[in-house]
Amino acid sequence: MFRVPYRPALLAVFGVLGLLIAVAFNTTSRLAEARPARVSSLIDVVHSMEDQRDELEDRLADLRGELGDLERKAADSTGVSASFSRELDRVRQTAGLSAVTGPGVEVVLGDGMDVGAGTDPNDYLIHDTDIAIVVNALFVGGAEALEVNGERVVATTPIRCAGTTVLVNSSRLGNPYVIKAIGDPVALERAILEDDTASLLFTVYKSQLGLQANITQMNEVSVSGYRGSMRPQYLRQPDGGA
Amino acid sequence: MLSLLALLLALALGILLGLLTNVSVPVGLLTYIGVAVLAAIDACLGGVKASLERNFQDNAFISGFITNTLMAAFIVFVGDRIGVRELYLAAVVAFGTRIFRHLGDVRRLLFDRWGWG
Repeated sequence: MFRVPYRPALLAVFGVLGLLIAVAFNTTSRLAEARPARVSSLIDVVHSMEDQRDELEDRLADLRGELGDLERKAADSTGVSASFSRELDRVRQTAGLSAVTGPGVEVVLGDGMDVGAGTDPNDYLIHDTDIAIVVNALFVGGAEALEVNGERVVATTPIRCAGTTVLVNSSRLGNPYVIKAIGDPVALERAILEDDTASLLFTVYKSQLGLQANITQMNEVSVSGYRGSMRPQYLRQPDGGA
Repeated sequence: MLSLLALLLALALGILLGLLTNVSVPVGLLTYIGVAVLAAIDACLGGVKASLERNFQDNAFISGFITNTLMAAFIVFVGDRIGVRELYLAAVVAFGTRIFRHLGDVRRLLFDRWGWG
């Protein structure tokens, strides 16, 4: 063995091999430590922000209740006409700030079963667009108040996709989705079934993909009030407007 | 035995150098590094084999290593460009086959040398 003349060139390539292995190792280990750390820290941020949001919403609800009491008291003591106070309540109700009840429908949308290979799993899931289409159809049918999984849909409510969940207002909602709407039950159901796109969910998609999709007419539906904040920053009365 | 140790020492030196400088490449180039590692292993075993056969030539060795590596990199590059990412497997399989053949040869040559055959 002593006499085998290993050449400098061979030694050099051995060195290069070692270098390459080290570079590959550096790169993969950097990747490995970068990914999960970032994801988990982002998840922590989301959770803490959601906790904060829930706290603030609770406080907002308390303060709104307090405000209502004070306004009623003020109306009583200062003799401001009762009609003004009633008008305020009516405006709040129309804006969606208070819980309301009345006849309407309950629509349940749920993910279907994945039937196996060669199919797109996305076809078997309820998406934000499905919910938005049904919500639109219900408003077309004259819905006066509407909530998705307890999130009141108001004028500024977004309905959009957020990963595996659907974002309504600032809450992430998960399958199944229960949409409650107050209005003429017959007209609401007909509005969905007569909408070209929305009706597909309850006919073809339901039977072909096993999606959960049901409309129930109800004599009494409770819709919760909007819990988020309403603090317009940019809008103002147009000049000369009332 | 001493010269074999020198080779391992060179390998360790390379690894140490890479780890200490902590050089890394963009993720997109990881396939190139992988193929280059295979090319280097192939060249190293081929070099050891040639040395044991007293047939080692600097020119052939260095030019072989460089052209093999360049060709492998070119195959990976073309695969990326034409949308057949798996084309790099051609280089991996080719180097893999050569590596095991060289390994077998080196093993037999060492047996001969140490008189175990």
